[in-house]
Amino acid sequence: MDVIYGLLPGMLLIGALGVGVFIWSVRSGQYDDLEGDANRILFDDESEQVVEENNGKNIEK
Amino acid sequence: MAVCYHCGLPAPESTFSTEIAGKQRLFCCFACQTVCDTIHQAGLQDFYQKTTESQPLAPPPLSLIAASESQFNAYDSDAVQAEYMAELATVRSLDLLVEGIHCAACVWLIERALSKLNGLVKAEVNLTARRLHIKWDNGQLALSQILQTLANIGYAAVPYETDLAESTLAQRNRGLLYRMAFAGFAAMNMMWIAIALYAGADEGGFRTWFHWIGFAIASPTLFYAGFPFLRNALLGLRHGHLTMDLPISIGALVTYFYSTYVMFSGSQIGDVYFDTVVNFLFVILIGRYLEAMSKREALSATRRLFALQPKLATVIKENEPMSVPISAVHIGDAVLVRPGEKIPVDGLVIKGQSGVDESMLSGESQAVLKQVGDTVIAGSVNGEGAFTVRTEQVLRNTVLSKIVDLMERAQASKAPIQSTADKLVPWFVLITLSLAALTFWYWFAVGGEGEKALLAAVSVLIITCPCALGLATPMAIAVASGVAAKRGILIKQGAVLEYLSKVTQFVFDKTGTLTQGKLTVAKIQLGTGLDETQLIQVAASVEQQSEHAVAQAIVAAAKAQNIDLFEVTDFDSFPGQGVIAQVGDTGVQIGTQTWLLERGVIISDKHIEQCAAWEQQGVSCVCVIQSGNVLGILGLADTLREDAVDTLSALRQDKVTIHVISGDKQAVVAAITRDLGELSMQAEVLPQDKSEVVSVLQQQGEIVAMVGDGVNDAPALVQADVGIALASGTDVSAESADIVLNQPGLHKVLEARQLARQTLRTIKQNIGLSITYNVIMVPLAMMGLVSPLVAALTMPISSLLVIGNAARLRRFNKE
Repeated sequence: MDVIYGLLPGMLLIGALGVGVFIWSVRSGQYDDLEGDANRILFDDESEQVVEENNGKNIEK
Repeated sequence: MAVCYHCGLPAPESTFSTEIAGKQRLFCCFACQTVCDTIHQAGLQDFYQKTTESQPLAPPPLSLIAASESQFNAYDSDAVQAEYMAELATVRSLDLLVEGIHCAACVWLIERALSKLNGLVKAEVNLTARRLHIKWDNGQLALSQILQTLANIGYAAVPYETDLAESTLAQRNRGLLYRMAFAGFAAMNMMWIAIALYAGADEGGFRTWFHWIGFAIASPTLFYAGFPFLRNALLGLRHGHLTMDLPISIGALVTYFYSTYVMFSGSQIGDVYFDTVVNFLFVILIGRYLEAMSKREALSATRRLFALQPKLATVIKENEPMSVPISAVHIGDAVLVRPGEKIPVDGLVIKGQSGVDESMLSGESQAVLKQVGDTVIAGSVNGEGAFTVRTEQVLRNTVLSKIVDLMERAQASKAPIQSTADKLVPWFVLITLSLAALTFWYWFAVGGEGEKALLAAVSVLIITCPCALGLATPMAIAVASGVAAKRGILIKQGAVLEYLSKVTQFVFDKTGTLTQGKLTVAKIQLGTGLDETQLIQVAASVEQQSEHAVAQAIVAAAKAQNIDLFEVTDFDSFPGQGVIAQVGDTGVQIGTQTWLLERGVIISDKHIEQCAAWEQQGVSCVCVIQSGNVLGILGLADTLREDAVDTLSALRQDKVTIHVISGDKQAVVAAITRDLGELSMQAEVLPQDKSEVVSVLQQQGEIVAMVGDGVNDAPALVQADVGIALASGTDVSAESADIVLNQPGLHKVLEARQLARQTLRTIKQNIGLSITYNVIMVPLAMMGLVSPLVAALTMPISSLLVIGNAARLRRFNKE
């Protein structure tokens, strides 16, 4: 069980890294807008419907 | 039923319709129609699929659609932009405050619409803060084009300047977030250690090693994450008042130092409680963070309401009008005030004339005619004419600023509100400490065991851990503020929620609060020939050309009755006096008596007497004249808000006394409040005396709430125990209030009060829960029966109960 003497400090080190990453993410503004980005990822670039309509217009021209 | 294709509001028999994507669509207003058309022409119709039904769109403001390009051009000048950014490079970036963003679909629409502009580098919407960050190439694209594009799709935007107070608050919140994150990390790791110790490791050879690891985690947690508590407790002690932070600090410090003692002394009886310290701080920090978040949201929402007012002035230099920031206007400058603009400086009128609305300062609802030689006051709103002002006072020296100073002084001298929990704390601390002392004395003197005595005494201190008590108020207030914000009630200071339900006296301002603050046709006297409908038809036809408040009231009266209007020709207006036009073949004149008499019109004594009688009651009269005959007299007055009667009678049922104060004349106030039932009223109160009225009531031992909207109400809003400002009011009043109602309507006052009552009930239940917990646990600890396992189980349970109980507030429904 002597492995515990190494494991525990190791665990703390990894945990501290996690805290570091978190603080970095707060600093870089990732927590400033929680709603916007959550929704933005769901937006398609352009829906097929619009593309079709636009194509239709082009043909007419 | 027909609904507006854009915003979904009912649009029965609407006259606004246009062809959208091959189909005829109905709209509720011109603004919706234009915006929808623009969106479709830009190929952005997907917007409508992305909007959700739970968050309906609002019709865009009509003024936005009518906005001329020149309105935005002012923002193109470098002098103006320098106010908002550090350097004026070719590629510039700026934060815009955008009004009208309400859901994710708006984010999509704005970003998509702007990305089509040439020269735009980046456009990113922050949905939480309702802000837009843009970066553009100033060589290819002007800022005014960006603002115009936003206006076309229905969003009002202005450059945004972060102020010092807000950035300090943001920094403090960020600091709190770091501390919470650290405490969270510590709590997670601490749990492994704790579980190992409970599972038997404290009897083997690893005991000391686990203790050391616990010590290594708990020390930074207490002194870094717990630093705000320690500091506040010390500050509180120094100023002689005990806050919640004191028992929190005592609990944490005692637990920590006791555990450290056990660790160093190698005592085999004692146990370490490092896990308690860490988890306790983590849970309390969560409560504090939630509270800070809701407060910040309320503050930024109030700021957003008012930052939208442009802070620009038009200065005339060498006969050329030029837009400059208000801070760049000097005494002696000639400032041009256009129709509908806010007057930026105190000064003398040197050219032109116009009716000016000074209601926010004087409380008088009627516009005052300003001619050459009259003084105007910064903050008042210009009517239909344009004039030039010679600047006499700017910024901090204006009348407006002096009222703000008055308000700030009152704010500084106001004692902080004590919440129920704060009042209990000194007793709680006292009882805990004496019980611990009693325990120590009993075990030491009677039992004669030194170490056992110390252990029992300390476990009393630890078990009374004020965790639940510390969370009782902040959790309830954080949840209640969130619920309130969704309903358009912004609570800037959570503690007032407790007070609001105890208020015994409500003081209402008259103009703009009880009344709508704008004119409507209140009385009609017929002259010769026509009936009421015909009279309004003629009057509104002529007045539709004018922007004056009286004209708008008459046109609104016609619209309300669905009266079709005639075409008119040869329209001419005389600011502050009247208008003339040709309806069909005959000339119509509408205006004040004096003006008409001057123009040679004959008005009978009967009509003149009637007017005099009305004017006594604050009703202003305009006469409608057609070919020399008096068609009738229209009486215009400020009318009560629709929900005023209901709101006041509901408050009265609550055994609340109602007061109305106003700067208007006695007869006017009496006439307006006639339908409101029993109330005490005070008329002709000067702005600076309004807070006096409130403080007189307070000296009689009453708890007073003030509801107001104008700048002149601000000192009274501060003086009152609870200040409530209406959103339609001014920024100064919103700044001084504790609660801001974001949606029009007085009934929100009632809703806030109901929510407050429910919150207070929840807080009391929470305090009850935490005291029950202590009543059970403290005797056990005094008997020396509390094992660390029992402590570790019961403490989080008490906190969870409190949190769960507070969460029930989310289901608040209007009773």
